[in-house]
Amino acid sequence: MSLGFALYNCFFATLLSLISLGVLADATGVARQSTYELMSPENRAMQDNAQANPGLFWVLDGKALWDQPEGPNKRSCASCHGQAEQSMKGVAAGFPKLRAKVLTTLEEQINDCRTTKQQSTSLAHESKPLVALTTFVANQSKGMPIDLNSSPELMAQIDAGKKLFDTRMGQLNLSCANCHAERAGAKLAGNAIPQAHPTSYPQYRLEWQAVGTLERRLRNCMIGVRAQAYAYDSQELKQLEVFLAWRARGMLLETPGVRP
Amino acid sequence: MSKTSRTLVTMPSEAKQGEIITIKIIVQHDMESGFRRTELGEVVPRDIIRSFICTYAGSEIFKAELHPGTGANPLISFTTIVTQTGLFEFKWQGDNDYFASTSQQLTVV
Repeated sequence: MSLGFALYNCFFATLLSLISLGVLADATGVARQSTYELMSPENRAMQDNAQANPGLFWVLDGKALWDQPEGPNKRSCASCHGQAEQSMKGVAAGFPKLRAKVLTTLEEQINDCRTTKQQSTSLAHESKPLVALTTFVANQSKGMPIDLNSSPELMAQIDAGKKLFDTRMGQLNLSCANCHAERAGAKLAGNAIPQAHPTSYPQYRLEWQAVGTLERRLRNCMIGVRAQAYAYDSQELKQLEVFLAWRARGMLLETPGVRP
Repeated sequence: MSKTSRTLVTMPSEAKQGEIITIKIIVQHDMESGFRRTELGEVVPRDIIRSFICTYAGSEIFKAELHPGTGANPLISFTTIVTQTGLFEFKWQGDNDYFASTSQQLTVV
């Protein structure tokens, strides 16, 4: 009798812990959603209609830069890579990636090409030309699933990113996970909290009135919780980016997405 | 030397006589309001589009004045009645000799 009671209690304790785990768990599999799902019909229409999506201006600017000769040898991106519509298809879906064991974002890869292959200048992070080129390249992977090469070395970076995701920071003492995993779908100041899957980057954000990168968005959140934001191209931001990409693996890219 | 930028037009290329069509048009522009300051406290000079005009087969059918409160990359949407086969011409003018124009032919079927 007492054994039965103990088992009965044990069952409820397990059930309770499962429920609380469920509340705190990060969305996985089919439960994951793009922030697109949370947007107003007007915002969705803005993203879906290519002629009304302001992000297209950056794509078109990027296309012009792709063909523009740079450096002493007058080489353009197209001189080596040819038509981006073929050569860049799916490329953005694999970033951030390890290049010679260094975690590299798409922006850094473009700058690396510019300084070594084109012998031209490095473009500043969030500068219009770099964002335009990145958006143009990422646009070639639109509709393709995020697909990282999960080598053990990359998994180590992803694990480091997950630790950062779970680390509380700033005067508000919040971690990314506090909002975007544990309270995703709940409301913050009247707006639904998104699951924070980086499917739309570089994205046109109405608040920015411009296209910006994932690093800009991550820094926004850090400033929001009153933390000292990590610098652009810092190892921490890149580790967070690669963790987010891994967390959203298999989800489809929307570049250029539109977000409020 | 005048500045210009990209434009995107959404409108039908064919329509029936008397039909009401919607024209959506978006132009690339930062629309710097003139009220913002740099980190050093200096005012960023105003640089906005001031006016937009649309003509249909030579006659003006829509006109708008834009102000510093208008956001970047302004989208303007309006309707008109199809009266004849003709060219729609869109023109934007603004600060610092900004000028952009584009056009699209509409055929009555």
